[in-house]
Amino acid sequence: MNARIRLLILGLALLLSACVGGAQKPPKELLSLTDAQMKIRSFQTRAFDAKDQNKVLRGVVAALQDLGFIVERANGPMGLVTAGKFGPNGHGFVQLTVVVRAKGEQQTEVRVNALFNTKPIEDPKVYQNFFIAVERSLFITRG
Amino acid sequence: MRKPPDRFRWLLLLIFGGLLSGCVQQMPKVETFFELTPQSAQHRALQTRMFETPDEKELLSASAAVLQDLGFQIEESSTEVGMLRAAKERGAREYGQEIMQSFIFILSILGQNPVIIPVDVHQQISATLVTRRSETDASRFSVRILFHRSVWKGDGNTGNQHIPPGQQSLEMIYDGKIYQQFFTKLSKSVFLEAHKI
Repeated sequence: MNARIRLLILGLALLLSACVGGAQKPPKELLSLTDAQMKIRSFQTRAFDAKDQNKVLRGVVAALQDLGFIVERANGPMGLVTAGKFGPNGHGFVQLTVVVRAKGEQQTEVRVNALFNTKPIEDPKVYQNFFIAVERSLFITRG
Repeated sequence: MRKPPDRFRWLLLLIFGGLLSGCVQQMPKVETFFELTPQSAQHRALQTRMFETPDEKELLSASAAVLQDLGFQIEESSTEVGMLRAAKERGAREYGQEIMQSFIFILSILGQNPVIIPVDVHQQISATLVTRRSETDASRFSVRILFHRSVWKGDGNTGNQHIPPGQQSLEMIYDGKIYQQFFTKLSKSVFLEAHKI
């Protein structure tokens, strides 16, 4: 058989096998927590030495405005904020959800998870930058 | 089949390489979304005013009233966070774009392949407003508002393929006059002077 035809058959077989593999039952580990997820959670969470959760929440909202995010929804009692931002010239879209809650008596915990073009962001640098903006907004006093 | 000459192949590679690098440049890096830029402080100054009032609710409801006067619909509000979100719909047709569209259409007819480039047809102007107590003076509140607009394009034609309508783009508005206009109305509405930060 001609080598080219063999290659073609192989290619087609691969394509077909892809069809068989997809669209099956949801994976068993769908809701279980993996090590990677635990790590991401630690990047996404930071505790601040502040008792007043509402103040921290407002600091987060101000930080988001500083970063040019559009605050879509905010819920004070739940400590919840969702926001979004388009990239330059409308390319790329980042969405995020922030939850602010009490951590013990003295601290407040901020958890953020962000999506870039609907895919979760797993780069720790991104979350570091976000918390830098929150810290500035919380502790820089303004006239 | 005749093998294409080497030079031609190199040219093809170069063109594809160029196209691909174009794609890479267009997609911004995700880190940049969370970095404060040198413009951040300027934008904050443009978008923020201080008001000498301890009454946050009054500021918020006056802001909502001003936005209503400007033709906005309030879509979201939270007094606990001190936040309002409002939007208004407008046509987005611009003469420049339509002249360009006709010009290209006439040129393309000469080439026997009618091309209709999509133009902006509709826009939504949105405002997000946040009030916050001053860190140094509890009797003052800052109001910060961000205006931005989403634009939707109509349909078009590339000559042999129809371009469906609905391509969307979003841009922030940094025109000082618009912010100035809003804050002038707000300070009249609360009988207070708006102080720059």
